Amino acid sequence: MSFDAPTIDYAGLSPVIALTVGLVVIVLAAVFDSVRRFGPALALLTYAVTAGCLIWQWNANLDLVSGSLRIDGLAVTLSLLAVIAAAVAVLLAIGDPSETQAGRSDWLALLTGSLLGMVILAQATSMLTFFVGLELLSIPLYALCGTNLRRRESLESGLKYLIVGSVGSATLLYGLAMIYGASGATGFQAISDGLQAGDGMLSDSLTLVGVGMVAVGLAFKVSIAPFHQWTPDVYQGAPTPVTAFMAVATKAAAFAVFIRFFLVALGPLADQWDVMLAALAALSIVVGNVGALAQTSLKRMLGYSGVAQAGYMLAGIVTATQAGVDALVFYLAAYVAMNVAAFAVVVIRERQNGFSDDISTLRGLGREKPLLAWPLTIAMLALAGLPPTAGFIGKLYLIEALVDDDWTWLAVMIAIGTMISLGYYLRVVATLWMSPAGQAEAGAEIDTASLPPQIAGAQADPFEDSRADRRWYLVAPALIATAAALFFGVIPQPLVDFAQHAGDALSVWIS
Amino acid sequence: MDIEWYLVLSALLFATGFLGVMIRRNPVVILLCLELMLSAGALALLAFSRMLGNQDAQVFVLIVLVVAACEVVVGLGLVVAMYRRRLPLDVDEVKELKG
Amino acid sequence: MLSSIIWTPLVFGLIGLLVPKRFAAWVAALGAVITLGLAIGVLAGFDPDGGMQYITDVSWIPGLGVDYSLGIDGVSIFLVLLTTIAWIPAICFSAIRGTDRPALYYLMLLAGETSTLGAFLAQDLLLFVLFFDLMIVPFYFLFGIWGRDRGGEEDPERSPGNGPVSVQSATLKMIVFTLIGSLLMLVGAIAAAVIAADGGELTFSIQTIVARGLPEGSQNWIFWFFAAAFLVKMPAFPLHGWMPDSYRAAPLPALAVFSAVLSKVGAYGFLRVVLPMMPDASDLFQSTMLVLAICSILYGSAMAFTKTDLRLVLGFSSVAQLGFITAGIFAFDSTGAEGAVLQMVNHGLVVVPAFLIVAMISERTGSEELGPMGGLAKKAPVFAVIFLIVSMATLAIPASANFIGEFYILNGLFQVDAAWAIVASVGVALAAFYALRMYQLTMHNPLPDGSDSREISLRDALVLVPMVGIVVVLAFCPQLIIHGSEQAVDSSIAIVREVAK
Repeated sequence: MSFDAPTIDYAGLSPVIALTVGLVVIVLAAVFDSVRRFGPALALLTYAVTAGCLIWQWNANLDLVSGSLRIDGLAVTLSLLAVIAAAVAVLLAIGDPSETQAGRSDWLALLTGSLLGMVILAQATSMLTFFVGLELLSIPLYALCGTNLRRRESLESGLKYLIVGSVGSATLLYGLAMIYGASGATGFQAISDGLQAGDGMLSDSLTLVGVGMVAVGLAFKVSIAPFHQWTPDVYQGAPTPVTAFMAVATKAAAFAVFIRFFLVALGPLADQWDVMLAALAALSIVVGNVGALAQTSLKRMLGYSGVAQAGYMLAGIVTATQAGVDALVFYLAAYVAMNVAAFAVVVIRERQNGFSDDISTLRGLGREKPLLAWPLTIAMLALAGLPPTAGFIGKLYLIEALVDDDWTWLAVMIAIGTMISLGYYLRVVATLWMSPAGQAEAGAEIDTASLPPQIAGAQADPFEDSRADRRWYLVAPALIATAAALFFGVIPQPLVDFAQHAGDALSVWIS
Repeated sequence: MDIEWYLVLSALLFATGFLGVMIRRNPVVILLCLELMLSAGALALLAFSRMLGNQDAQVFVLIVLVVAACEVVVGLGLVVAMYRRRLPLDVDEVKELKG
Repeated sequence: MLSSIIWTPLVFGLIGLLVPKRFAAWVAALGAVITLGLAIGVLAGFDPDGGMQYITDVSWIPGLGVDYSLGIDGVSIFLVLLTTIAWIPAICFSAIRGTDRPALYYLMLLAGETSTLGAFLAQDLLLFVLFFDLMIVPFYFLFGIWGRDRGGEEDPERSPGNGPVSVQSATLKMIVFTLIGSLLMLVGAIAAAVIAADGGELTFSIQTIVARGLPEGSQNWIFWFFAAAFLVKMPAFPLHGWMPDSYRAAPLPALAVFSAVLSKVGAYGFLRVVLPMMPDASDLFQSTMLVLAICSILYGSAMAFTKTDLRLVLGFSSVAQLGFITAGIFAFDSTGAEGAVLQMVNHGLVVVPAFLIVAMISERTGSEELGPMGGLAKKAPVFAVIFLIVSMATLAIPASANFIGEFYILNGLFQVDAAWAIVASVGVALAAFYALRMYQLTMHNPLPDGSDSREISLRDALVLVPMVGIVVVLAFCPQLIIHGSEQAVDSSIAIVREVAK
């Protein structure tokens, strides 16, 4: 019997296929003891192939799976950022207690699964793939947060993230239902057409409730205030390699769908949601920056700073212009570099210090280990938006997009937020470089006091590694990310092209 | 029949679930309430699908059910892990991480 | 050519990282001297009536409309010369004494020179803002790493007048103050370009934006975004809050160039960007700016007269001097503005040796407080003479170039309103008080115990004497600068004069 088989565009689907195959192989490898230790290599190989497929499809611009997915510039660029973040997480996790305790293959499988969710999310053009991608991204992450089994913070952060994240997902689902009712469609393009034609039977107010709930659901994922409360806790509690992955890759994927859903599906309602998003962005900038000022834990500080940075990026969507999307993607790319540099140093310091991420553990690092101090310094300067780093150009890009679209007040908010942020970013720099050497011992004492209460109660921590700053797989990500943050601060054009490739993909829908 | 009845019911489910997440302390009950919130969305989707006469949302609801199951599995897994570590099963007691 | 001036210092700073530590200082000094040589080369081919010269214009970030565009005119050339000159004694002085972590120190110092030169030469508004922001970064590290806490419990110089200052809080204050200004300036600069382009092709070229013009309403708020940045940098009253603490905490050679050159970037910004780009707003706020300038003069002089810490005396005298310069610029008169340019150079040239002398005084007496010291001139006539010349130049004694500068500025102010000129001239009188007080209390009077009246060492003399020599030479031929800058200054204030009429 012959039948009309569906046409499958294997080329367009290649990134998803590559990741899925890799995921299966990693899970199977768990069965064989002899292969298990090559887990990281397998994972890296998978990501490399995925990245290769993404670059192969660089200029693709087509709908896949009957319009449920779409591979285009936006999907390719943001997926690449997520893949890079995942690769870094694999490297940073080598020898990490979380990876060892959860089982190396399981850990890597969870990570790869989450990455697969991100790649799908970045391509999603229908409610279905949107929701599936989001959940596929989130659920493995909940588990990953809890993988450091001997630390209660880790388990608690996993549970907390699960509860908050699920509330976000449920809110998002409810909002999607409303929009489905209003537009009568599930595909993004069809929603847009439906909203314009008024096919649905819902009143405007219910439609807006739906838009609001989707925004809230996504705000939970990218940690936009006032839906950010989980961020500092989970960032701090989760194993640091997971935090690094979460901070960077989740933002990239969630912003991809944020852009696509709001600019494509909800494009006709742009005049209604832009003020709402602008208010969220402004609130995020203020709350994140002010919250970070009081933190003594580096990871919590980076969590709050992530809230503020998400606010900056959201401002790019507010403009609903191509320039805004370009600026957002540029900023995200810069954000990947700066955060990877910062978290890599945190990982190294944690392993040398009995897993304390207190800022005081950094005292005198500039004198003792400049190779560690410089990446963190440059990451902090970049996050604060000082030249000559990519962070400065990113802020410049955002401000230019905002001013160009008459959102000058939001641009001023970014400037004000940046000023507040100097207070905490530079505190880290000052601790690195400007604490007299004599205080280094005093700092060491604080370390022991602030050590996390360990469930195992072991005196000699088997995961402590005083030579962590010589391990290439920990130092290389830090150095490469630092170099990237500096390089794209001095020669930003390649990254601008990268970002504009993402924006161009939406040229049909926005100006 | 008016679609409003279904919408009101789903809104009530959603609100009940949300309230439950906010005020209950036992993580298992919280997981139940999360399910309630997801079901509310599913119910609304089904109602609209019936009203609009297209089947897109019905597939969606099937997938939502699967996702909800996955979430609970991971959630219960974490709860069990905490129980084994003899950590208090009361979210208010989870005070190591304050908001 | 201009690019090589900008980047030479940084390149030598980086080379300094590679060579053995003991050579880092001399690599740095060599870099500074080569930069000066290049600057002199530019001066040799410079035509005072030629407008903008040595133009470099390369597309830098085409996606954002930002160009790497450099140029030099009658105003910037003297400031470039001042910068390249000022850095040499600062580096040599540090080299003679040796510093902790030398390679990093000189890298930061030279990166500071690179960014300052960049700010003076940039002809693209965003490039200017970028260099303006960049300047503060190396100085943040210089002040933070090599500065020291002052006035703490164990500090022998602790005195009731000067509270404790910690390096961390002082540098944080400095960078937050400065960046508050410059971030708003970034928004202002982008807004200016976007509004001027008015839907056309976006460019940040200063000349194009000036030619396109800005609507009056936008000028008013953009003006304050720029003015805030420049006034903080100078610093001008009432935005000088960061100055006392960071001056007290900073290492002296770095402070010397900081005070000499970085403060001038603010004044230069007014002349280069604010007046031509926002003529209506400049005219509208002329009185406000003049009031701020006069307040700076009076407040700075009064504070310089009462402070006992030598660094603060010099710091507040800078506030007063920058007040003069601002007043000269906002007189919208070519004599006033030429005087301002002359005064920028004078003040820079005088302040560098002044701060280095403070360092030497501190070495001899173990203190930077005016009260307990004195009598240093006893066995050190050469040292005393050098300090005397510097003091005389600071107080603008007739026949010094500072006198000419202040005279021109007052002359310009007189054209606006005699009252401004009369109030400002009080500042001139006060300068005589504080400069002489500083000289007398250190050099004359009996020598207290523990102090050592030592003659200046030969190597220090080699550093200081040329600087003082330049001050003296300039006193004889200030018209070099007056004439050299005439055409550029006129073109800067021509637009605003047009509006003012």
